Amino acid sequence: MDNKGWSLKGSLLLLLLLVSDLLLCQSVASLPICPSGAVNCQVSLRDLFDRAVILSHYIHNLSSEMFNEFDKRYAQGRGFITKAINSCHTSSLSTPEDKEQAQQIHHEDLLNLILRVLRSWNDPLYHLVTEVRGMQEAPEAILSRAIEIEEQNRRLLEGMEKIVGQVHPGIRENEVYSVWSGLPSLQMADEDTRLFAFYNLLHCLRRDSHKIDNYLKLLKCRIVYDSNC
Amino acid sequence: MKESVASRTVFILLLFLTTSLLNGQSPPGKPEILKCRSPEKETFTCWWKPGDDGGLPTNYTLTYHKEGETLTHECPDYITGGPNSCYFNKKHTSIWTMYIITINATNQMGSSSSDPRYVDVTYIVEPDPPVNLTLELKQPEDKKPYLWIKWYPPTLVDVRSGWLTLQYEIRLKPKKATEWETHFAGQQTQFKILSLYPGQKYLVQVRCKPDHGFWSEWSPESSIQIPNDVTMKDTIVWIFVAVLSAVICLIMVVAVALKGHSMVTCILPPVPGPKIKGFDTHLLEKGKSEELLSALGCQDFPPTSDCEDLLVEFLEVDDSEDQQLMPAHPKEHPGQERKPTPLDPDSDSGRGSCDSPSLLSKKCEEAQADPSAFNTPKSVEKPENPQTNVTYAWGSGSTSSEGKIPYFAASGFKSSTWPLPQPPSQHSPRSSYHSIADVCQLNMGTAGASAALLDKTDTRALRFSKTTETGGEEKAAEQREVESFHSKTDQDTPWLLPQEKTPLISVRPLDYVEIHKVNKDGALSLLPKQKENSGQAEKPSTPEATKEYAKVSRVMDNNILVLVQEPRAQNLASLEEPAKEAPPSHQQNQAEEDLASFTSAPSGCGLQRAGLDYLDPTCFMHSFQ
Repeated sequence: MDNKGWSLKGSLLLLLLLVSDLLLCQSVASLPICPSGAVNCQVSLRDLFDRAVILSHYIHNLSSEMFNEFDKRYAQGRGFITKAINSCHTSSLSTPEDKEQAQQIHHEDLLNLILRVLRSWNDPLYHLVTEVRGMQEAPEAILSRAIEIEEQNRRLLEGMEKIVGQVHPGIRENEVYSVWSGLPSLQMADEDTRLFAFYNLLHCLRRDSHKIDNYLKLLKCRIVYDSNC
Repeated sequence: MKESVASRTVFILLLFLTTSLLNGQSPPGKPEILKCRSPEKETFTCWWKPGDDGGLPTNYTLTYHKEGETLTHECPDYITGGPNSCYFNKKHTSIWTMYIITINATNQMGSSSSDPRYVDVTYIVEPDPPVNLTLELKQPEDKKPYLWIKWYPPTLVDVRSGWLTLQYEIRLKPKKATEWETHFAGQQTQFKILSLYPGQKYLVQVRCKPDHGFWSEWSPESSIQIPNDVTMKDTIVWIFVAVLSAVICLIMVVAVALKGHSMVTCILPPVPGPKIKGFDTHLLEKGKSEELLSALGCQDFPPTSDCEDLLVEFLEVDDSEDQQLMPAHPKEHPGQERKPTPLDPDSDSGRGSCDSPSLLSKKCEEAQADPSAFNTPKSVEKPENPQTNVTYAWGSGSTSSEGKIPYFAASGFKSSTWPLPQPPSQHSPRSSYHSIADVCQLNMGTAGASAALLDKTDTRALRFSKTTETGGEEKAAEQREVESFHSKTDQDTPWLLPQEKTPLISVRPLDYVEIHKVNKDGALSLLPKQKENSGQAEKPSTPEATKEYAKVSRVMDNNILVLVQEPRAQNLASLEEPAKEAPPSHQQNQAEEDLASFTSAPSGCGLQRAGLDYLDPTCFMHSFQ
């Protein structure tokens, strides 16, 4: 008699536990928005990618405008374009060069690549703002955009790290990035050299922001929409 | 020797150059790269413009080298892109890589190269226009119809993988319009247009743009016809409504044209003029006195006997000094001093004699009006002027102060005090008047003057007044006039007499009598006139008392009637003038009797415009006695 009673109670308790577990699991899964600083946040991957794409698109637009402004104002007739060949500091990072190559890379690798590129630009962007500000007759169009790009780039980096945390959590690679060594050129006394340094920096920024934007859109369509954008 | 060789070489060279110049041949001109475009960011094409070919067949080649490479390559495909083009397929295309491209032109004479062009495929993307543009007119129930536009991205562009992200723009216009209406459609491949003009043919185009590239060309036009929103049924209804309203308008126009006047009269009835009930003014005009007088109850009218002898005197009773009494003008006094102007009847004080202006005026022709006035004084009185107690017998109260004294227009030497039917100088058609005057004269002749007595309180006094002027101060003028008048005339002016007697008379306030009725004997039934002041409150229709009328006790001076009150009801007494030549009658007041003086009110013959209708009892002559 006692055994039966105890087993009954035990099974009931077990049932209760299971049910409560299920309920708890469901409630956890429905958390939509993450407060900042929360560890186990469950913003959907789709939202993360949408925000990331918006940011990358915006950053590239700003970079393009900034480059065109500089080119129009300072680089006319100087033939800078002939010299800006193979001069970006991120060219050591092996990034895909066309669509086939980009589609062949595994999305995790691509994500890591994006992160590396983004990290490589933290330092140059910071110095860009400083040096443009110090320019004589600092052009407002260029300066404002430089400041905006720097801020947005930081935000994109955070978002990307979140995405990486969701896509393949647990793996945290060493922070690899390309080191930028163009600062002395930006501070050269020779105007021509200095201007070319700026031109080159802006040229590389425009290209790399386009790369990031393109890779992210590829990833979004691949991961979120299953290659059916 | 050497010199000759040198010179010879120079000569040959010159010759060669000259011949080449003469032939027109030269090395090719410098070619120029026009543009390079990639339709999907996977391939690209470059086009160049050849320079001068120098008259010789020239060979063009494209050479390039990529960023980070030293190797120079030649264009892989000169054909796909058309003439003077180079097509780089997917294998030869690298994104985010700089291409340095050069065109070489070579001919027999020489060669030339273009400037190098730096091309990054990333920034030269220009897709083809969208394809399969379909237009569909959707008409949901109870809603306005809208245009549903659908299209597909260009075939080469890979949108599904996200390699390119396209944004679209559409534009449309009615076929005949000049301006396009442009709409940005974002990344969607469909669009709804809601504002459409019915009955128009619309043209639609679409184009696209990659996320960081150039806009494509507009797609070929697609057209669609928007049907009219007015159905056949609606059209029929509107036509029916239009026809109906046109018919109604036509009918109304015709009706107005035909009966416009009567309609206007119906809508805006004319203001009724004063008239006597049962009295037809038209008959007066036409001179049909018989019918008229029969309506009034007159008989034996017009009298056929000699009316000339009839004298009818009017008694005028005035109870206030400012009442104007119209004198009966002696007929022998033509209106020389006073022009008997065909005045407005207002000038008549109401106590007219037959010479009073109203009498003389056209209205005097309406002498038939008198009997009716006598007959129904009350009824006349009320509509006319209930306020002012009007005596109908004689030109009542026109107390107008227009100093017209037309009374004195005497027509002839008639002894009757009656205003003759106008003097010949007066206006013409007075047949009725004549007849009345004749009647008056007749009656006067036949009957003695029976005075209508106005029985009143003792306060009443009789007085004879002959002027239209109001106010006591006028009386002196009157008297003077009378006197002057009288002096001019040879006749006795009976109205002088009252002058003499005025002190006697004026003691008493004057009063008017109203003719209550006239019986067939020609006797007047008179009523005391209501006092203006006190009589207002009372119904003018109810006389205080129906007084008895006096008989004529005697006749004085051949033209004055003396009345005596007779204590009997409903006795009619009519006034008559013994002699028609006599001046307008007036009654002599006697101390012991109440006398009513009646002045012949010429205007009494007719209706006065002043609203005071009175009739000239002289016109109304009945044989009596």
